[in-house]
Amino acid sequence: MSAADGSLSAYVESTIIMTTVRVVSPFVFTFGLFVMFHGAESAGGGFQGGAIVASSIIMLAFAFGIEPTREWLDDSVIRLIVGVGATTFVGIGIGALAFDGAFLEYAAYGISHGVKYGIELVELGIGAIVAGVIVSLFMNLAGGFNHDSGGDDT
Amino acid sequence: MQLLLYGVLLTFVVFAALAVAFLRDILSAIIAFAGFSFGVAIVYILLRAPDVALTEAAVGAGVTTVLFLLAIVRTVRPGGDRLFERVAWGPAIIATGLVGVLLTTVRSLPTIGDPNSPVATSEITRYYLENAYPQTDVENVVTAILAAYRGFDTLGEAAVVLAAGLAVLVVLRKEVYV
Repeated sequence: MSAADGSLSAYVESTIIMTTVRVVSPFVFTFGLFVMFHGAESAGGGFQGGAIVASSIIMLAFAFGIEPTREWLDDSVIRLIVGVGATTFVGIGIGALAFDGAFLEYAAYGISHGVKYGIELVELGIGAIVAGVIVSLFMNLAGGFNHDSGGDDT
Repeated sequence: MQLLLYGVLLTFVVFAALAVAFLRDILSAIIAFAGFSFGVAIVYILLRAPDVALTEAAVGAGVTTVLFLLAIVRTVRPGGDRLFERVAWGPAIIATGLVGVLLTTVRSLPTIGDPNSPVATSEITRYYLENAYPQTDVENVVTAILAAYRGFDTLGEAAVVLAAGLAVLVVLRKEVYV
C-alpha cells in the first residue's frame, strides 16, 4: 500500500515485523519515558530517554512504512515538540532570573525540592528536543529520496 | 571470570570494528557497526558507566544504524562475489601507525578501580560526591552534574542538537524554508 507510490522501494510489508513492532513498541516507548523521568534517580536522562522514544517511533515507521507514519505523526507536531522542549529548558533558566536568582539557578524558585523538579523538567525538555530532532532527521532523510528521485542522479 | 568476560567482549569489539572496515557489502558493514556499538555498550556497563552505556546503545547501536540504513537505500551493491574489500596499503599503514602511537598512551592510564588515580583523589570529585545529594536532592550524581552544576553546558549541548536538526530541515526541505 504505502510502497505503491514508490516512496521507498525497500519497504516490504511483513506480518511478522508488524506484529512484533505492535507488541514491542509500546514497551519501548514507555521505557524511554521511564529513562527520561527517572534520570534523577537511576542511570539515564533526557538524551538517552529521548533517543529511545524516537527509536520506538522509527520502529513503527520501519514496520508500517514511512509515509503512513508521517501521515499519522505530522511534521508540524514534531516541530512543536522540539520547540516546547527548547522553550522549557530556556524558560526554566530565564524564570530563575525573575526570582532574583542566577540563570538556571533552580533553588531560586523557592519551592521545596525545587532543584530536583528543575532538573527533572530540564531533562524532559532535553528529551523532547532529542526525540523530536531524531524523528525529524529520520523522516526528512527518508522523505529526501522522494523529492530528489528525479534530480540528483549522478 | 571478569577477565574472561572482558577478553571475549573486547575481542568481539575489535573483530566487529575490523569487519566494518573490510566488509565489501555496506549493509553487512552497517550491521557489524551496530554490533560494535552494542559490544562497547556492554563494556561500559561492566566499567560501571551505565549512563554512557545507555547513550551508546540507544544512539550508537540504534539511531545511527537506522540513519545509515536510510542513507544506503539508494546505493547499489558492488558487483562480484568477494566478501571483503581489497586492502589499500597506504591508508592501512597510516591507520596502523596511528593505532600504535595511541597504544603507547595506554600504559600511563590508571588501572581500573585504582583508588589512587587522579580522578578518584581529585578535590572536584570529592566535592560532587559529598554535596550533590544534599544540594540537589538528586540521587544520580551524573544527572546532578549535567543538569545543575553544568546546566549551562547542557543548554549548549541541547542547542547543538537543535541546530543540527534545524540545519537538516533547512537543507533537505529547502523549498519550504528558504
